[in-house]
Amino acid sequence: MAQPETAPPQTAPAPVPAPVTPAPGVRIDGLTVVYKTTAGELPAVRDVSLTLEPGSITGIVGESGSGKSTLALSLLNAVQPPGRIAAGSVEIDGLGDVVGLAGERLRKARGAHIGYVFQAAQNSLNPLKTVGKQLLDLGRSHGVDDLRGLVREAKELLGRMGLDGARVLDSHQHELSGGMRQRVGIMLALVLNAHLVVLDEPTTALDMITQANILKIVREVHAERGLTTLVITHDIGVVAEVADRLAVMYGGRLVEQGPTREVLHAPRHPYTRGLIQAIPRLVGDIDEARALPGRPPTLATVPKQGCVFRERCALRMDICETDDPAALADGPRIVACHAVGVKERA
Amino acid sequence: MSATVIPETSGGGISTASAMRRNFWRGVWRVMRRKPSRLAGAVILVGFAFMAVLGPMFYPDNLPGDANAITRPPSWEHWFGTDPQGRDVLALVITGSRYVLLSAAVTALITVVFGTGLGLFSGFKRGRWDTVLMRVTDMKLTIPGLPLLLVLATVWKFGNPLQMGLVLGLLGWGGVARAVRAQTLSLRERGFIEAARGLGLSTGHIIGKELLPSMAPYIAMNMLIAVTGAVYAQVGLFFLGVLPYESNNWGVMLNLAVFQAGAMITPYALGYLLAPLLAILLLTLGIVLVVDAMDEIFNPRLREE
Amino acid sequence: MITATGITRTFRQRGGVLAGREVQALRGVDFSIAKGGAASFIGESGCGKTTLGRIIAGLESYDGGEIAIGGTPMTPLKPKQRQPHFRKIQMIHQDPYSALNPTRTIHQTLQAPLALRARQTGRSKQWMEERAAEVLSLVGLDPGSVLSRYPHQLSGGMRQRVVIARALTVDPEMLVADEAVSMIDVSLRLGILALLKDLRERLGVAVLFITHDVATARYIGDDGELFVIYRGQVVERGPVDTVIADPVHPYTQSLLSAIPVLHGLEEPGEQPVVPLESLDESRADAGCLFARRCPFRSERCESELPLLQVTDGVPQEHACFHPERRSVIARPLSGV
Repeated sequence: MAQPETAPPQTAPAPVPAPVTPAPGVRIDGLTVVYKTTAGELPAVRDVSLTLEPGSITGIVGESGSGKSTLALSLLNAVQPPGRIAAGSVEIDGLGDVVGLAGERLRKARGAHIGYVFQAAQNSLNPLKTVGKQLLDLGRSHGVDDLRGLVREAKELLGRMGLDGARVLDSHQHELSGGMRQRVGIMLALVLNAHLVVLDEPTTALDMITQANILKIVREVHAERGLTTLVITHDIGVVAEVADRLAVMYGGRLVEQGPTREVLHAPRHPYTRGLIQAIPRLVGDIDEARALPGRPPTLATVPKQGCVFRERCALRMDICETDDPAALADGPRIVACHAVGVKERA
Repeated sequence: MSATVIPETSGGGISTASAMRRNFWRGVWRVMRRKPSRLAGAVILVGFAFMAVLGPMFYPDNLPGDANAITRPPSWEHWFGTDPQGRDVLALVITGSRYVLLSAAVTALITVVFGTGLGLFSGFKRGRWDTVLMRVTDMKLTIPGLPLLLVLATVWKFGNPLQMGLVLGLLGWGGVARAVRAQTLSLRERGFIEAARGLGLSTGHIIGKELLPSMAPYIAMNMLIAVTGAVYAQVGLFFLGVLPYESNNWGVMLNLAVFQAGAMITPYALGYLLAPLLAILLLTLGIVLVVDAMDEIFNPRLREE
Repeated sequence: MITATGITRTFRQRGGVLAGREVQALRGVDFSIAKGGAASFIGESGCGKTTLGRIIAGLESYDGGEIAIGGTPMTPLKPKQRQPHFRKIQMIHQDPYSALNPTRTIHQTLQAPLALRARQTGRSKQWMEERAAEVLSLVGLDPGSVLSRYPHQLSGGMRQRVVIARALTVDPEMLVADEAVSMIDVSLRLGILALLKDLRERLGVAVLFITHDVATARYIGDDGELFVIYRGQVVERGPVDTVIADPVHPYTQSLLSAIPVLHGLEEPGEQPVVPLESLDESRADAGCLFARRCPFRSERCESELPLLQVTDGVPQEHACFHPERRSVIARPLSGV
């Protein structure tokens, strides 16, 4: 549609970064992503609905195989074969339904509209090229005319994150520490002026201090540039630090979502409760921490019928065997659990 | 200790080991069946092996020539025609296969044993031994193979396929040694090798049971490629005519077809020229098709899936 | 069980612009662990904690100091003679994926060390089979369903259990666990930690736990000692709960301040120390190693290296000229 408008102004006219574009909202509705396997097409993400409010930070928590990364890739319509988006829509303000985008328009949207920071940015950089060269490649592939302006913007962003921009742009991947690479990843995601940012496991493999620094940067840059941010992680602590809203995924389903503090304070879904209980704490009785029994399902072992969590669930009922619980809203909180539903109705 | 022993769940060691071997071959069968091309490749290779082992038994030592049918094009009687002495070309190819394949097998064996052994030792010991051995390997790699063979051919006649295989093998192990060493160096940093050292397992166990199986697809591939290389090298030598025609051999056939029967000018000798070429091509094809399956055969994950 | 005194290790950089430059990975580390005891080392990546673990497990050499295992000093011994001593200390690697040979079944993996033991002690094949099943049961796995599997058929948590089972085949007296749960799924982590704890209690196996996650260190060895290591130097050590609740070294304080606060369940600590990012490590080593990043540094810190010491009224040792207790960790909200 409005393709000329989506191309951002190449040079920031004023050094003060004033958010020109308002942060976009995202509405994921009934999204199902399937992977083709020898056992047929299996859903990695099943019937997920999630709204990212403009200007919010949403955290998605899940274990391996929960479908959280697949969900994040769907935002860019970047699910690779043998996977495909089988149903649902991903509406992004100013871009429309991404599921329908293809080819050149999709490529332009990635980067210019949606910034993606890959897992701890470890392997997303080309080891043979300096960061600066990769920045220029990125600019050229998006048809940026003013490459000088792009470099200036990149240096400014890096400086904002506490790095020496010129030195970093001259460096190769191996010359940067984990925390620095992660910052470079964030810079590359933001430099084309994207206002929707997806961070996939932003602090995995980083130590505590670096993690704290990166999370601080995420929070600050988010506020300064007026972004809508999605953080994908397995670590509830990360979400607790940065996110306004928390969504918990399990076996391809979104089992609970709500304001972070409320969910942590009083988790409703038994899985969320179990996850929080399994975190060892710094004070108090160490035996309060309890392991969740069983183990997370894989694509092949996710139950096809009924609740995906029932095999590890203490509140399991007969209905859980047959019916997949619907996601029911209660104010800002949404839970998909039969046991919770019963309590509410009673 | 307060553990509960459950002896009945795991049978005796011997039965488990043989069951595993059975599982391995079942896995191999599964991998081969996955693509028809692999089965075709295997059939070709088995065919060649039979040809080399049994083929010459069906023919007399000196093939009879038909003086009335000299340098004939292919016919029902002689599928690939006859040579200038009136001998059946197909029979020549079959009787000649033994020399070619036997020497190729010897080459492959020497290449693999030498290359793997040196590469493993070098990569595992590291330090001074590694430096010395790799210098030797580098020097060896810089020796140009063909000229050396030509020089050697003046003093040695290579009438025996074993001699030929030995020389080609001694010339060819350098690449394998380098590759195996690189693999060893990267594998020895892996957790399971370190754990084996920490558990006090012997070096023999670590090399034989932990490292070698991980490199098996690699080594098997190199071996098959060495076979192709050896076939090309010796056929090339005989074709060039630097070696005496003492034996019946595909290379000799090619040489005679071109320089004696005049296959380049007369169409009558075309069969004589094409038959050994076709044999070489088919052998290479069989190897290429089988190499494709190696990775899956030796990787349990790919094998079982 | 083990006593280490003044362990040092220096690496020489190879290749690149830094060729020949020496990096001190460990600068005189002392510690000891009793039978069935526990000690935890925490610190950032690159602080030397992994090198220490590898040295203790006999996988890496040390340049200075002494390690005594069961009272026997290792330095005078030849490598071959050290081996049986170091075998009592088994390493649990971080990555359960590379720690098991993908081409060998769990049965084969366990049989190799057991065969060695059987040969040394003249035991039968039957014993080997029983023992393999036994160690698997010890780590909470069902031998019947696991033995014939290949590693790729097991989940990360199960693999880590197999790794621990393999270590148990040689009846170790100590396990060195280097970030042993950081690659395991969150809901399974606690299970592995509980297992290590359980092995301590049931078999009297000591645990040396190396991590950047203080809470997991506390979970495994809250009765043991906590060591905070920075650039190869132990900057603070003491009983786990004391160091966590009342850290006195600014580095410990910034490490603890960096732990995410579970808002909704916890409130931030009273005096968090803002962790400073160190981006320049290529400085000379005069003075306190942490001075560059320390918000409380004085002139003295720039020129003199503080050594581990005890201050009155503080149960832990610290290497700081300006020790001050600060309560930095998050506190549980009341009524949760």
